[in-house]
Amino acid sequence: MVTTKRKGETRVITGNAVCAYSVMLCRPDVVALYPITPQTEVVEQLSRFKADGVIDAEMIEVEGENSAMNAVCAAACAGARAFTATSSYGLVYMYDAMLQTSGFRAPVVMANVNRETPGIHGVSCGQQDMISTRDSGWIQIIVENDQEIMDAMIMAFRLAEDNDILLPVMVNYDGYYLSYLAEAVEIPAQEDVDNFLAVLKTQPQRMTLKPGVSMGCGTHGILLPYTEMRYKHCAAMERAKAKFDQIDKEFGKAFGRSYGGQIEEYRTEGADIVIVTSGSAVGTARSVVDAKRAEGLKVGLIKLRMYRPFPREKLAKALKGKKAVGVLDRSVGFGWNAGPMYTEVRAISPEVGFVPMMSFIDGLANMDITVPNVARMIDDVSAAAQGKPYQETTWIPLEE
Amino acid sequence: MVAKTKFTYPYESGWSNADELLLYLDTGSWRTIRPVVDKEKCTYCGLCALYCPPQCLLDKKDHFDANLEFCKGCGICAKECPRGAITMVPEG
Repeated sequence: MVTTKRKGETRVITGNAVCAYSVMLCRPDVVALYPITPQTEVVEQLSRFKADGVIDAEMIEVEGENSAMNAVCAAACAGARAFTATSSYGLVYMYDAMLQTSGFRAPVVMANVNRETPGIHGVSCGQQDMISTRDSGWIQIIVENDQEIMDAMIMAFRLAEDNDILLPVMVNYDGYYLSYLAEAVEIPAQEDVDNFLAVLKTQPQRMTLKPGVSMGCGTHGILLPYTEMRYKHCAAMERAKAKFDQIDKEFGKAFGRSYGGQIEEYRTEGADIVIVTSGSAVGTARSVVDAKRAEGLKVGLIKLRMYRPFPREKLAKALKGKKAVGVLDRSVGFGWNAGPMYTEVRAISPEVGFVPMMSFIDGLANMDITVPNVARMIDDVSAAAQGKPYQETTWIPLEE
Repeated sequence: MVAKTKFTYPYESGWSNADELLLYLDTGSWRTIRPVVDKEKCTYCGLCALYCPPQCLLDKKDHFDANLEFCKGCGICAKECPRGAITMVPEG
């Protein structure tokens, strides 16, 4: 356990480069990557680290994302610390392998650089890709800025490989907005990262392939054993919530930064209304909440850091007693005409209390989630809280 | 979630020990024809065991023979045997 914070260094560095740097600090054994915009820089940087001899990982050149995921899944089954990164088309191209990886309980860590999905050739930011893999059995974390990319990657390895969890973890950061954004990032010392991850070595060794032992994974499974494995998978998902909170606290002690675990509450104390959002939009929302608070409006913000498992208990606790809730999604839920995160927040209404809940869709395909847009959203939620009529879903850029 | 602690399956995920648990589907009940190995013709090359889909051919040290609890009677071993040492015989 780290007790004293060593002096790291501060660098102005892009989101993708931070991701690669953080992965290097976590000392993976196997890295398999295939380039795709806007993730390509992660591949370039890790390849450069390998060429420079500063990362001691087996780098597998693959012919596509499906192979990348199968390679890291197999590597993790053999006991390796394994990493891959992708985005959009790449993510959906590896979907069957993602199901395999989570089903095998292979603790792979993946960075997904959020980008719009096929159909409309969206070479632009949006969270539709991660939303499309919601039920793949992966833990999904969403981060807000470059520093959080650095820190969340380290926490992701701790979470994935924890003996109580053993699930693959996807760390999502907004493409374009964060992938190419250069920010000052505090880079932790290698020794501190080593110490932070060292606890994993003290745990009982997970089931792995071993030479000379005839074990296989994912061979047969129907009827009761299948049901049991699904149950165990869901149980591990439930455990991941408290574990993520605990890892976040320990990270705070070790590195001086923590993020609240599953959710971060910002000025929700005494708030009448709350808006919920995730990713890079949180920064904008924070400043709008500050401005509205200065005007006397009692508004708070919740940053959703964990999408799967869904932090329903913590959210319900944070939203209980509020007069109205607005959820801002950077993706759509086909067949509900609302944002996917909104529908899940709405699903905990019995625990929260039946108050107006409103869905806002904005930021699709690189549309900026601007200060006026968030301010307008807060005004709408505020009006609903005062009993005025409201519409359930607002597509902010399409409104008059 | 309900705190369930007793499971029929010992692992967290789909791990199987090939010596004990890999063969747990009742594939033997699917069989309508079964392989009969001619020990004189068998050269112990092992191709039948390599090709067997449920991996049920047992190593008898000088020849191979199917474990009929799991052999589903697909006939691939008979087809692949270069010596023609395996004949598929109707059941019943």
